[in-house]
Amino acid sequence: MRQRHEVYEEWVEMEADGLLTPERRARLEAHAAECARCRDERRALARLGALLRETEVAVEPGFRERVVERLPAAGWEGRHPRTWRLPFAAFALLGGLAAALLGGTSAQLGPEVSVVAALAALGEMARAALLAGAGLLGASWKGVGLAMAELLDSPLDVAALGFLVLCLDLLLISLLRRRRPATASPPERRSTVR
Amino acid sequence: MTRGAEQLSDDELIAAILGGDRERFGDLVERYQGRLVNYLFRLLRNLDEAHELAQEVFLKVHQVLDRYDPQYKFSTWLFRVAQNAAIDQIRRRRLKLVSLAQEDAEGESRDWDLPSPDRGPYGHLRNQERGEALQSAIDALPWEYRELILLRHFGELPYEEIAQLKRMPLGTVKNKLFRGRQMLKERLADFLVD
Repeated sequence: MRQRHEVYEEWVEMEADGLLTPERRARLEAHAAECARCRDERRALARLGALLRETEVAVEPGFRERVVERLPAAGWEGRHPRTWRLPFAAFALLGGLAAALLGGTSAQLGPEVSVVAALAALGEMARAALLAGAGLLGASWKGVGLAMAELLDSPLDVAALGFLVLCLDLLLISLLRRRRPATASPPERRSTVR
Repeated sequence: MTRGAEQLSDDELIAAILGGDRERFGDLVERYQGRLVNYLFRLLRNLDEAHELAQEVFLKVHQVLDRYDPQYKFSTWLFRVAQNAAIDQIRRRRLKLVSLAQEDAEGESRDWDLPSPDRGPYGHLRNQERGEALQSAIDALPWEYRELILLRHFGELPYEEIAQLKRMPLGTVKNKLFRGRQMLKERLADFLVD
């Protein structure tokens, strides 16, 4: 089957790119045997390809190692479960040790002091610690409240504080508005240079 | 390369890296370092700068690897990041040139020419002259052809990936590559004959 010359020209290009099927390649070869233009084009493109390959530069030895050494901890690594393996392992170890100690102690004290009783005691300790913390927090806030009442004893002081808070809010809003939008993520395309 | 890494696809390597296996990133670096360094070298015309920038590109990609969208090829993403980085680098270089030119106008004698094509990489090759001729021919290409030729022949990206990266129709990519190669052939005619 005879084809238009333009088709063979396209096939010459595809061949140079390694995209030609064996069947088409055979047909191109048959055509090039008769067509000087296609023959020259094939030869020139093959040489251009060879020239491009033979002038490739070598990568410095140790490049891979240098990149891996310089890798900082990426944000996503911190969020990965693998990062939690060590803390989980430490927690499990400590838990195991605590269970072993409690088991040993209860065995020495006799059957009436069981592991369950020891765990209940630990629970009580945790509850007491929480209550103490909540009490301290409440007392702190009460202290702050008393100090504020002492400072703001006149309506003028209250108005001045309100004005100050308003100014600070406005300043914060203006700063947030002025902030530039986040930079484009890497896949975005830059404009070209000429 | 770690045993078995060459059998893994890019997506499998990335899954392993995101799973916490940092060493696999080294495998990814090794897979692309040659193409990336050569691509950047042809754009920047300086081998040290190309290595430096390739390293930065890999580090940048690692930082945001969790944002990689597997619906695109990793190589497309990598070369887009590389192209953006190279364009920024060329712009920085030009800004430096402008400021040095201004200093020069004020009476100071400064060498502010663009770095000449790096002769080092060809020093150990017999074809130094051919390498330099090729670089000159590439530099003389209009940007729209040059970037496609570099992505195809040094980045070794298939047409479809180039089309995706450049957001161009496939036919336009083929056409521009054809035109670009024709221009290269004309400029390198002396090196493509017997």
